[in-house]
Amino acid sequence: MRTYFLYFLLLLTNQAAAQDGKHKARLSAQFTKIMNRESFIGLSAKYKGEKGFDPASDLEFRIYKKVSGDSLFYLGTARTNTEGNAKYILNDSGPAKTTETPAFTYVVKIENQAKYADAETEINVSDANLTVAVETIDSVHQITAMLTDPSGKSLSGQALKVQLQRMYAPLQIGEESYVTDEKGSITVPIKEPMPGINGELTFEVVLSESETYGTIKALVSAPIGIPIVDQSTFDQRTLWSPPSKTPYYLLIFPNLIIFGVWIPIFILIINLYRISKAKSRSI
Amino acid sequence: MSTTYDQLVNDLAPRKFGWKGNAWIAFLTTIVLLGLYSYVEQLRQGLVITAMRDYALWGIYISNFVFFVAVSLVGSLITAILRLTGVHWSTPLTRIAEIIAVAAIIMAGLTIIIDMGRPERMMNLFLHGRLQSPIIWDVIVISTYLVISVLLLYYPLLPDFSILKKYTQHSGWLDKWYGRLSMNWSGNEKQVRIHSKSILALCVLIIPVAFAIHTVTAWLFETTYRPGWDSTNFGPYFIAGAFVAGSGAVVVVMYVLRNVYHLEDYITDDHFDKMGKVLVLLCLVYLYFNINEYLIPTYKSTEEESVHLQSLFTGQYAGLFWTVIIGGLILPVIILLFPKGRKPLPLFIVALAVVLGAWWKRYLIVIPTLTHPFLPIEGVPESWHHYSPTWMEWSITAATLASALLIITLLVRFLPIVPIYETAQERGLMEPSQPKLS
Repeated sequence: MRTYFLYFLLLLTNQAAAQDGKHKARLSAQFTKIMNRESFIGLSAKYKGEKGFDPASDLEFRIYKKVSGDSLFYLGTARTNTEGNAKYILNDSGPAKTTETPAFTYVVKIENQAKYADAETEINVSDANLTVAVETIDSVHQITAMLTDPSGKSLSGQALKVQLQRMYAPLQIGEESYVTDEKGSITVPIKEPMPGINGELTFEVVLSESETYGTIKALVSAPIGIPIVDQSTFDQRTLWSPPSKTPYYLLIFPNLIIFGVWIPIFILIINLYRISKAKSRSI
Repeated sequence: MSTTYDQLVNDLAPRKFGWKGNAWIAFLTTIVLLGLYSYVEQLRQGLVITAMRDYALWGIYISNFVFFVAVSLVGSLITAILRLTGVHWSTPLTRIAEIIAVAAIIMAGLTIIIDMGRPERMMNLFLHGRLQSPIIWDVIVISTYLVISVLLLYYPLLPDFSILKKYTQHSGWLDKWYGRLSMNWSGNEKQVRIHSKSILALCVLIIPVAFAIHTVTAWLFETTYRPGWDSTNFGPYFIAGAFVAGSGAVVVVMYVLRNVYHLEDYITDDHFDKMGKVLVLLCLVYLYFNINEYLIPTYKSTEEESVHLQSLFTGQYAGLFWTVIIGGLILPVIILLFPKGRKPLPLFIVALAVVLGAWWKRYLIVIPTLTHPFLPIEGVPESWHHYSPTWMEWSITAATLASALLIITLLVRFLPIVPIYETAQERGLMEPSQPKLS
């Protein structure tokens, strides 16, 4: 599996000299690439409010890519949510594909916003590949990962994290990080058995927040976990199910009781009609 | 018609209210209007106008609801159980019990709607209700009990309506309505046969439904793991308490009506004596269940139950708790054991204390448990640990109680308080054309 991951973080208070009545936003841009999946720029912005920094919500970023010299190629826009975060997914179209250099420069701008002053930041990132595999040697499972540049040259001396994907946050495997050797690789044994749905475990190897390469993440799944027995009652008829999955005994007996009571009630109401119609017959 | 029969009809036929009656209606209407104002505010602003929060999510609306359900059970006791067991002395009291039952169950249903944050979504209970939920069982059983209670009130009224139609002849709209409501009752053999069988069927039918309504209401509480509610005894405990509340209510109403309408010949001191005996028996049974409900958790003293019981016995709710237990249960038992205590006035006072005690008992069942949950929420405001109803809550609750009294008052205005036909039959004062009911 080939994985590329680029990461850039730039925090700056920009040149945008405060335009009257506008907030001066602090931008943070981060280039991320998940191998064989997607590349995106993670964006966030905040401004100094009365009680400290507040998230800059509903802020539109314009994203450009630098091509041939200082020319900018417009890629698109992204808008922050209430937390002040936004994500711009990069695709392979446009100059990104035509460029032959392994280094890219992206420019993120705030332009002509009603609430925020103009600002911009720049991301420089070099391309790299991260491959990962799970091997079993002498009944011991181990993860091997290799970091290379696009030409296949090993990238040594880079710290890689090895993690197991869990529901809420990744679980660290082994030490906090492992440094790639002269071949650009690491080997990490998996000592503890871990549970996984159907025994399937998904590991991730991450080059995190590298100044040159950014964050690169590679994923690999292997059926080496302890299978978790699914105890979900979602498809069963239980006391906590929705109406469509009411237990049969709770459908049958209450309804029998309801009919058992309401049929006599209807007969009693009909009896009123019968009494009314029996007026002509005297004793 | 014999003179005596005429006298009986004249005594028992509904009468127009005097100034006292009209003042009473005006008083009740004022309370209802004040409650309506508060309810409109509740609809406008939401349940935030109440003191109910995340802890005390049920307040006096629900304790009031449980009280109404309890009182409504009296229809099954006085009418059905005593009728089926061949007790005839209760005949003059049956109508009062049935009227109280209908008024109480109507208000029980309305009180639940009042407690809803979004009453316009009430139909969702029926459309999307889950049969697994005791709340749906409660909705079903309350609707059923309401219909049966109305039928149990209406069926014995058929001959009375026929009698009243003749009695109020040429009085305008009233005799026409009595005529319509009498369902062409002429007392012929077929009508009497259907009528008798129907009342018998209703008496049989209402008992399990009445037991179910209060048992299911108890299940609303005991199906949760909360201190004070986590009991398998709650069903019979609630039913025993309901019979106490209902009997007390009948005694209060029969005392007032006897004095206002001068019905001493029909609701006699002997009726009070017998109702006093019934009440003391029911109070003793309820006392037995109370001992069970409090003694065993006290003996086990789990941490959560101890906190809850401490608040009842010696803590925040101690004053109210002991007033209710002693004033509303133990003292009534002691007083009613003596014949003088079962005279009309003492019994009326005792019954009033029992009814008031019954209302506050429901408050003590609902509120303290909620303020002492098994799983306390961390970091909640101090005020959430306490519940003190707002004046709007009180006004809405007072309006529901006034509405129940208003329903009773209006029914008393247009229906004979004491069944005319059955009383005449028991006294051998029937019109020659009228057959005897079996």
